[in-house]
Amino acid sequence: MSTGTALARGIARLNDVARAPRGAERAASRLLSAGASVVASSVLVDSAMEHYRGSFRDPAMVLPIALSAGSLLLNGRETLAPAGPSTLARMVHVTAGAVGSAGLAFHAWNVGKQAGGFRLVNLFYRAPLGAPATLLLTGLIGTMAERLADPAAPRFAAFLRAPRVVGTVAAMGLAGTVAEAGLLHFRGAYHDPAMWLPVSLPPLATLSLLRDVLTLAPRRMTYGLLGATAAMGVIGMAFHAYGVARNMGGWRNWRQNLLAGPPLPAPPSFSGLAVAGIAALRLLKDMRRG
Amino acid sequence: MADRYPDYDVLAKWDSPSFNDKTREILHARMKLLPRSKHLGEARVATLARLVQRVTPQPEGRAPANTLALVIAKIDADAGDGFRPAGLPRVRAAWQCALDAINAEAREGHGAAFADISDAQADVLLKALSEGQLHGAAWGNLDARTFWSWRLIPDLVSAHWAHPSLWSAMGFGGPASPRGYLRQQAGYRDPWEAEWEHA
Amino acid sequence: MIDQRHDTLDHTPRCGDGRAPDPLVPAGWLPMREYGEDEVDFVIVGTGAGGAPLAAKLAEQGFSVIAMDAGAFFRPLEDFASDEMHQRKLYWTDDRLVDGDNPLQLGANNSGKAVGGSTIHFAMVSLRFRPEHFASRSKLGYGVDWPIDWREMWRYYEEVERMLHISGPVRYPWGPKRPRYPLRVHPMNAGAQYLARGAKALGIDWTETPIATLSTPIGKAHPCVYRGFCVTGCSTNAKQSALVTWIPRAIRAGAEIRDLAMVGRIETDASGRATGVHYHRADAWHFQKARHVVAAGYAIETPRLLLNSANAAQPDGLANSSGLVGRNLMVQLNQAAWGEVDKEVRAYKGPPSLAISEHWNYTDAGKDYLGGWTYMSQGPLPAQWARTLARTRGLWGQALVDEMNRANHTVGLKMVGEVLPNEANRVTLADETDQYGLRIPRVTFSYSDNEKRMMRHAVAFMKQSLEATGARDTWDQMDDTCHLGGTARMGRNAATSVVDADGRSWDVPNLWVCDGSVFPTVGGVNPSLTIQALACRTADRIGALARRGEL
Repeated sequence: MSTGTALARGIARLNDVARAPRGAERAASRLLSAGASVVASSVLVDSAMEHYRGSFRDPAMVLPIALSAGSLLLNGRETLAPAGPSTLARMVHVTAGAVGSAGLAFHAWNVGKQAGGFRLVNLFYRAPLGAPATLLLTGLIGTMAERLADPAAPRFAAFLRAPRVVGTVAAMGLAGTVAEAGLLHFRGAYHDPAMWLPVSLPPLATLSLLRDVLTLAPRRMTYGLLGATAAMGVIGMAFHAYGVARNMGGWRNWRQNLLAGPPLPAPPSFSGLAVAGIAALRLLKDMRRG
Repeated sequence: MADRYPDYDVLAKWDSPSFNDKTREILHARMKLLPRSKHLGEARVATLARLVQRVTPQPEGRAPANTLALVIAKIDADAGDGFRPAGLPRVRAAWQCALDAINAEAREGHGAAFADISDAQADVLLKALSEGQLHGAAWGNLDARTFWSWRLIPDLVSAHWAHPSLWSAMGFGGPASPRGYLRQQAGYRDPWEAEWEHA
Repeated sequence: MIDQRHDTLDHTPRCGDGRAPDPLVPAGWLPMREYGEDEVDFVIVGTGAGGAPLAAKLAEQGFSVIAMDAGAFFRPLEDFASDEMHQRKLYWTDDRLVDGDNPLQLGANNSGKAVGGSTIHFAMVSLRFRPEHFASRSKLGYGVDWPIDWREMWRYYEEVERMLHISGPVRYPWGPKRPRYPLRVHPMNAGAQYLARGAKALGIDWTETPIATLSTPIGKAHPCVYRGFCVTGCSTNAKQSALVTWIPRAIRAGAEIRDLAMVGRIETDASGRATGVHYHRADAWHFQKARHVVAAGYAIETPRLLLNSANAAQPDGLANSSGLVGRNLMVQLNQAAWGEVDKEVRAYKGPPSLAISEHWNYTDAGKDYLGGWTYMSQGPLPAQWARTLARTRGLWGQALVDEMNRANHTVGLKMVGEVLPNEANRVTLADETDQYGLRIPRVTFSYSDNEKRMMRHAVAFMKQSLEATGARDTWDQMDDTCHLGGTARMGRNAATSVVDADGRSWDVPNLWVCDGSVFPTVGGVNPSLTIQALACRTADRIGALARRGEL
């Protein structure tokens, strides 16, 4: 826990050096961009791999790849060298959100028309509902970051700057990702005890964050839980790499096992969303001071 | 019927994760096996060769399968399948008797060895064999129809579809270990599977 | 010589010098206890679904156990090729005669010869009997009751399902509640999708098949890669055969495995008790003394061994005072319907039977016959498919080649149907002898009218299912059978059965049978899970009898 707190503090301080006039909002904006970048990379790699598995049967299957790539570029730039709000960024973020929503509907339709419809076998193995939802989150978080980058900027979706909204989006995102990990780890019958981690730690972080959002009082424990969740996302990738190696042929059979084994790009989504949660804590803290 | 997978060759995956060492070892040995028999003699081998040619034709435009060699190996080893109808002798004895009998039927019907009669004549004779209409003295106690369905067909067909050329022609995935398949649902294929070419 | 039966492995035992192969590690070994030819508590003949769990569970109770198998001890990762012809080395290809109106196909179809037995090449379908099928005489009015209550079997099923990490649906549509399967379902292949759509169209339940292949890595075993060569042996160890599950457990518990050891005769003393077995290994005959002998060679080799062990006191064969040894041989109907569809099916991918309907196993109305059947999706490999086409449709020459080249668009459904016990269907000894000088079995089988009616109904129904999913040019495969059972039936008294509910022979108190031959009826599902559950029960019962001093 203390390591998590230290990590979260470190993340929160990263951009203190380059603090712009309206400190907390700029800092939160940059954290959100960082979080969105991580989530976007996860979506980029995951959608590329999974739509390759789906043989790109539908031309629309390239859209999430293009949009997550765009989102990654723009959010990445905002993280490393903030350039402030831009119409292009706004358009990319909003489109990513829209494509994510459409993808969610499309994936649901696709699962529904399989033999057996919404039974577990199709939720396990057919078009995943969690993946387009993550693209939707990328768009939302990117938009929030863009809105916060220049608080003076005009009215468009100004509510997205509200600390409570940022916190709620991060919490909902975490909850959704927990649900996806829960489903897919159930598919894997929780054969490794470590598989319980992403369905136990992030829910605590989510609840703690929600409480802070409701009480408008960020607590150290929330920082700690979110920091630990961020770290877990990275460690999860290592676990998944080990999982790939346990499949027949191991890494030598990578063309099959990268897709058949646990998905490498999935766990970092937790990290990105946890960072977005930390951004919300920054805003809440600032709100209390102000 | 035209080959629907003209660009596909199972053996192109030889060095890929679809083949393990054991598979390479046994396929290598199988494909270089020559049709030499210790137990059949020239005339019977010639009859058998003709049988193989008519019952299990070679795939067009692909490396020929060495079906004859595999069948001879099975006969020479007298390797049974774990069951035979009462009255049907063991593998080698049954084949020896049947090859002689088929040749005798050809000589009686067409005045030439089975290896030398025309394709049409051979096919008519085989059709009669499959329908149990051959009763020449050379068959002895061997029931021709039983031999056809319990010995001749399973032995020839099993040997024929043991060759990679036949796998390629039918678009079969071929050896698959350690790498198996990802896309199992109807209408999908992995990049290492054959692509159906629409006529 | 190539391919046919000539691996050096076939002639040189691997077990010995205090070790046995580790089936999960290339070139690996497990330390193994050895008993020499000193008298042991149990010698078990056969290491398949019956012998392997029994060996493990008896050794765990502290009994000294030797389990012998006529076949080789393989390490699948390095010994198995992706090849139908080469993998013939897994099958019982020794001479056997078949006759009757419908001579059976044995060998690859249902008879294994390897440590692990037929579970090395079974299709992994792991089903529980319908409860009423343990008492079909009293509940359904046909066949004969088992001497065991289904509720007791339900507990042993659970034990085996856990041991084998069965992958299955969260909710099973038929029968009484069962615990959740240890692992989740596999993705469905095309054949399974067609079964599901057809069942939906016909308004009956279907589900993903409970199956003994891993859907996650467990220990050193890899999850299934859907390579599709299941019935020729799994080269990844995803398949939970006896070889990779019970056998290592048995060895760790102190059992000795003797591979390439063909038991030819059970010896008895003047009092009629078994004293041990004569077995052939490494080119010589040996004698193993044992306080108890267990025959676990499946429904042909077990009666053959009992019959070949006849002596002056028991001239009709050991344990045969009822005259039922070898009688009531049952198979299961394995008829199929096939058709062609527009989409590519590529049935060679994945386990062959990933979806199933037990509707007609649990529904008694609307039938003009007795007994139940299930049906499953199918995935034949090329040589097997060629034999099916040639045999069933009489194709040869270019017609066969052309039909073979349409295989990727072919979809099929296959039944597993209950055959009723019939004393005329039986295993006897032929006059001919095999490579060991032992008289070979003669297997006599004919369908009854009941079975013919069942297969007509099943094939018509499966065809309807295929056609409901758009299949064209459908055709029937009417001559296939699969699993065996019933030649040393268990029962409640010595006059009408060979062994009691524990598998103990009525005539020879230290002779036991533990395999599918004890089945009084075979039900409408694949037998492997039931054989293993019975073996677990027999092991527990032996322990209980020993504690009471009744062994």
